[in-house]
Amino acid sequence: MSFLALSEIKKSFGPVQVVHNFNMAIEKGEFVSFLGPSGCGKTTILRMIAGFETPSGGTIRINGVDQTTLKPNQRNIGMVFQAYALFPNMTVYENVAFGLKVAGMARADIDRRVKEMLALIHLEHLAERYPYQMSGGQQQRVALARALAVKPQVLLLDEPLSALDAKIRVSLREEIRLIQQQLGITTVFVTHDQEEALSISDRIVVMNAGRADQIGTPSDIYNRPATRFVASFVGTLNLIEATVEDPQANRIRIGEHAIQIRDSLAQSRGGDKVAVALRPEAASLQATARTDTALPGEVVASSFLGSVVRTRLNVGGNTISFDMFNDPGLTPLAAGEKVTLHFAARDLLVIRD
Amino acid sequence: MKTQKIGAWIAILFGATYFILPLIATFEFSLRMRRGEYSFDAYRSVFTDSQFQESFTYSIIMAVLTIVFGVLLIVPTAYWVRLRLPQFRPVMEFVTLLPLVIPAIVIVFGYLRLYNSSSWIPFTGSTRGTDLLLMFSFMTLSLPYMYRSVDTAMRTIDVNTLTEAAQSLGAPWRTILFRCIFPNVMSGVLSGAFITFAIVIGEFTMPSLLNRPAFGPYLQLIGANRAYEPPALAIIAFAITWFSIGILQFLSRFNKARPAKP
Repeated sequence: MSFLALSEIKKSFGPVQVVHNFNMAIEKGEFVSFLGPSGCGKTTILRMIAGFETPSGGTIRINGVDQTTLKPNQRNIGMVFQAYALFPNMTVYENVAFGLKVAGMARADIDRRVKEMLALIHLEHLAERYPYQMSGGQQQRVALARALAVKPQVLLLDEPLSALDAKIRVSLREEIRLIQQQLGITTVFVTHDQEEALSISDRIVVMNAGRADQIGTPSDIYNRPATRFVASFVGTLNLIEATVEDPQANRIRIGEHAIQIRDSLAQSRGGDKVAVALRPEAASLQATARTDTALPGEVVASSFLGSVVRTRLNVGGNTISFDMFNDPGLTPLAAGEKVTLHFAARDLLVIRD
Repeated sequence: MKTQKIGAWIAILFGATYFILPLIATFEFSLRMRRGEYSFDAYRSVFTDSQFQESFTYSIIMAVLTIVFGVLLIVPTAYWVRLRLPQFRPVMEFVTLLPLVIPAIVIVFGYLRLYNSSSWIPFTGSTRGTDLLLMFSFMTLSLPYMYRSVDTAMRTIDVNTLTEAAQSLGAPWRTILFRCIFPNVMSGVLSGAFITFAIVIGEFTMPSLLNRPAFGPYLQLIGANRAYEPPALAIIAFAITWFSIGILQFLSRFNKARPAKP
């Protein structure tokens, strides 16, 4: 039996249904990220787990116990908010001790637990500071310690890194993952940042218009997107319009070129239009032992992105981007230049709507 | 640029003169009780008057009670409206503004009609009941100021998220209100409290018509019968108000609800 079970969860605000029959089973100690654009229902599901929203239908069970009708303060769930939500009138120590005091713990035990938590986030030296005397990153670590101090059954993270600058985001997300693994706490993380979700999750739920389009490991989500939405939302992707040539042989045609792909086309018929996807990093200008397909094209534009240079090509009416690692000695391709794009046909993914 | 500066100084000087000159004149006049020399006789006369002591003590007690009950009524109301009924904020603002547009004399006549000794709720049937009614009427008068101060202070903190954070940590409503919200709106509570204090100390209409021995009716009585004590009382009232504002400024420095560093 799964530790956190969401069964047939629905949520409507007036006439608008924002979550449609959502089902998910999360194992104990698992780190699951909800990824999706604004308004897709990911935060609503998190808030229903926390008890801040009541589902219009369905049940939420933690460790076999029905939580659906329990009040937020009866659920023993730790939550970290995007806006930190530290109590401005309390010091760091008092903030972390708050939940323990509410639980009626003895003073000595509170002291021991608070020190343990502050050591976990490496902020023992700031125990007497007030929130306004700390940076955003420090405040969010205190918020994490405060949520963990009460030994919650589940930890909920509602876009906790969104308000921080890029460098702090990366270091803090690694710290969050490390602490989560150290404590083995079941965690649900909501984000709209695909890089965040891909880098720290055991599994990712890609949400689209109140439904889970795909639930899978980061590698599955990135390499084998189930829908067009997942493919376009996670990572940069080239969507190429192709024609099915031979469904039994899994052969398609892009422009003048016939290509045999790995994905099955059994459900299609010859002549059907089909969308295939290719990641920019899967193509290059050099033929290698791995590549088996070559398509001629014309350079449209090149953009310098720091570690990579992304070039857009016009290939038989489709615009395809590909990435090259940055090299100071490299001259960017000029618009209008004729080149040949090499890739492995098995990297082409058939995308379904 | 220079002309602008001179203009600004002239405006400040004019404003200050307009405000300070009558005060200086009042203070100077209050010192003239003894013929031919300046003295604090008028102040001595006021402070030794048992009626002053009684009325002032009465008004201070009423002010403290008004503040306590006002805060207990308004902080949870403003909190709840912000948290659960944000669509009712315009209604609340309208209701809390009513005491500014309805004259105190109309309110007190309404009270006398509704709560007289032969009514269902005979507040005016006993001294304690009348005191209670007077306190409620002071609460009504201070409502626009107290509500606005508290509501403005609540705007500076994220009431919803703080409440949810406290709930997720297991806190019941009472703990959330008194330990997480109340201390963070203290600057608003204090500013509302001092304005309430000033209103209660100076209010004449309500205590006069309810026949209670407050400081306002005493001021009027002295003003009608004496020459030097009324300006002394005016200066005392000013001093009390300034002292209140000074305390307010001092205490607001300790407010910890400040934005975090970016």
